[in-house]
Amino acid sequence: MSLELKLEANDYRLPPTLEVIRGNIVKYGNPLGLKGNEIAGWARNLNLPRQGDVLLYTGGEYQLVPYIDSLVNMLTTMKQGSAGFSLMLGVRNLINRVGVNPEKVVAGVLSRERERYQDVSRKAALVLQEMGLKICYLGEEEVYSGALLYEYGFMGDLRQHARRVAGLIKSTGARTIICLSPHAAEMFKLIYPRLVDDFNYRVITFLEAVYDLIKDDRGRVPSGFSGSITVHDSCRMARELGITEEIRVILSKMEGVTLIEPEFNRRWTTCCGGPGKVLFPALSGKIASRRVGELAATSADLVITFCPYCLAALDKGRREGQKDIQIEDFIEFLFRGIAQ
Amino acid sequence: MSSVLERIFQRYTEELNKASDDPNIQLALSRAVKSYRDNTAAAFKRFPHTPKLAGEVRAIKEKAIESMDELVAQARQAIEANHGQTYLAGTHEEALKLAADIIGTGKIVVKGKSIVGEELEIRDYLIEKGNEVWETDLGEFLLQLQHGRPMHIVSPSVHVPREQVAELFTKFFGREIPPDIAAEVEAVREFMREKYFSAHFGMSGANVVAADCGAMVIIENEGNARICTAVPPVHIAVVGIEKVVPTFQDAMKVAEVTWRYANYTVPGYVNIISGPSKTGDIEKVTTYGAHGPRELHVIFVDNGRSEMAADPLFRQGLYCLRCGGCMYECPVFQLTAGYFGYRYLGGIGAIWTAFVAGGLENAAPLVYTCLRCGRCVERCPVSIDVPSMIAELRRRIVELTC
Ligand code: SF4
Repeated sequence: MSLELKLEANDYRLPPTLEVIRGNIVKYGNPLGLKGNEIAGWARNLNLPRQGDVLLYTGGEYQLVPYIDSLVNMLTTMKQGSAGFSLMLGVRNLINRVGVNPEKVVAGVLSRERERYQDVSRKAALVLQEMGLKICYLGEEEVYSGALLYEYGFMGDLRQHARRVAGLIKSTGARTIICLSPHAAEMFKLIYPRLVDDFNYRVITFLEAVYDLIKDDRGRVPSGFSGSITVHDSCRMARELGITEEIRVILSKMEGVTLIEPEFNRRWTTCCGGPGKVLFPALSGKIASRRVGELAATSADLVITFCPYCLAALDKGRREGQKDIQIEDFIEFLFRGIAQ
Repeated sequence: MSSVLERIFQRYTEELNKASDDPNIQLALSRAVKSYRDNTAAAFKRFPHTPKLAGEVRAIKEKAIESMDELVAQARQAIEANHGQTYLAGTHEEALKLAADIIGTGKIVVKGKSIVGEELEIRDYLIEKGNEVWETDLGEFLLQLQHGRPMHIVSPSVHVPREQVAELFTKFFGREIPPDIAAEVEAVREFMREKYFSAHFGMSGANVVAADCGAMVIIENEGNARICTAVPPVHIAVVGIEKVVPTFQDAMKVAEVTWRYANYTVPGYVNIISGPSKTGDIEKVTTYGAHGPRELHVIFVDNGRSEMAADPLFRQGLYCLRCGGCMYECPVFQLTAGYFGYRYLGGIGAIWTAFVAGGLENAAPLVYTCLRCGRCVERCPVSIDVPSMIAELRRRIVELTC
């Protein structure tokens, strides 16, 4: 491979935020260096076993999202010129000048947001239990899948990290992994088998798990909602994993729910802009607003989606664009009808 | 002190943000995206065989890239047999030197739109060598006057509204040109006519080349490529080596798929050129240089393409037909146009920038801008998997920097 950089090595530094995220995953097991109890606190009263056939894997992703937003907010409001400029300062500079440290990031999160996102995992567990599924959970030991290492190109680190995650998963004795985030599902389904020996599990998303539980059931799925709904297919879900019809079947089994498709749906869905958030926050926000615009054009009462990053990006787009459409995760939506 | 890459990244991010805040660009882009989608949908409805044909083209390109070197050799032989002259430029510099050696200095050159031309920055190079060079494609001409760079591969001036065009023309032509599209087009037409007939050289690219007979296909709507390649006494074509396919029939399939995914039912003109103009009308003796050019020179350009072809993952980048469809579907491009690009634009452009035009340092910001959302793959006639290539490029960049 002769692709090369025509610059001296020290003339070539990656954006430091990437380094921060990489370092945290490697060192603390998640992108922001949060503590185990921040991530697993939701399960405190549920007494989920550590071992079992079916593993509920949160990867901490919903829990982490508000912290990532807080970090990004901090970066975009920094004074030195454009956000892009700030991002290009050395890591040490970044920390010295603006004090990006975990405490500050944590302080920047509204408790309302933190609770909402923490609660998604609890709701997912309760819904699955209510539907009769026995699940286990790794609790404070659970570690992030490393999707961002893959995203940003840190494959060497990912290889190491994946072994650690695989070891933990193995220790639960599970054969099926239910992932709350499609990014984790993508990792376990498509990437881990290339990196780790004997990584063969049945990997499904929460949405597929629910679909499996109700698909042969002739009855209705209880819904705590009546009105019109539109669906934001997540890119990973629709295009990478090819999961598009399950949600439509589930919704069709719900009383009082009318589905209105947005113009760009299923494999043609429009990205929420989330993946650009860390490096190009301004642009990423605009992409989210555009997508919210497409979804709001359906005049539906509610948007549902199935990915923590989509949820956060779209909800922010909604707030900033002052659109009066509600945005919920499928887990939150289902919880109302099934477990509440 | 900030590093070179930091400065590249910084300038780039500022441009992206500026573009996405510019109401002119936003207006022009949203109109362009809408009409692209509407036109394409209508064209597919009228010609429903298109997606199937695109599948065939994917197979043609796969096979062609596998034997790229042989096909180029075969095409060269065929063109030479047709009395054209051919050259193979290994690098950017070689390609420019070949062109400059043919053209010399103090000449007038009229040029059709060519993405390889952009890759080589050939216009500026020839001007530097003391020639007068005119872009004849209306969009490219606008950019030449503006000292801008193309913002889309099919519609390079996708971001310039008519009011701005009028201002620019009024200044350039030294008379009042109203912000009326017909009047603007007329002004350029008048100006160009004179250039076509005084030009010493006509330059063009080619959309696809048939190895078996040496026919080059040039798709266009304005008729400028037709005149550039027919009126001046010498025609120089600059062509990427990935453009060669085995047969004439293959070339026709590639051409149809290219224009259909570029939103046309049928383009205004499809030019097929395989050698200099000739006649056998007197005593059946073939004589070269009839009404059209006396000479045809074809410069095949490698410039990193062989390296791409040798890589099992990146090889697919060479299947690109340059229909431009992916860009209209890209959420980043929809806000920033070609600012998300270097010489080549959008996600596929990031790949081409890394291997062919710009190098990894100019590609890096683009590589990290891509959302890897994958909608471009849905649109792409040859299903190029840009997200996977982006992931791999990131891995390689990280490897080189750590
Ligand atoms: S990558 Fe595909 S869609 Fe994009 S310009 Fe090339 S052929 Fe067209």
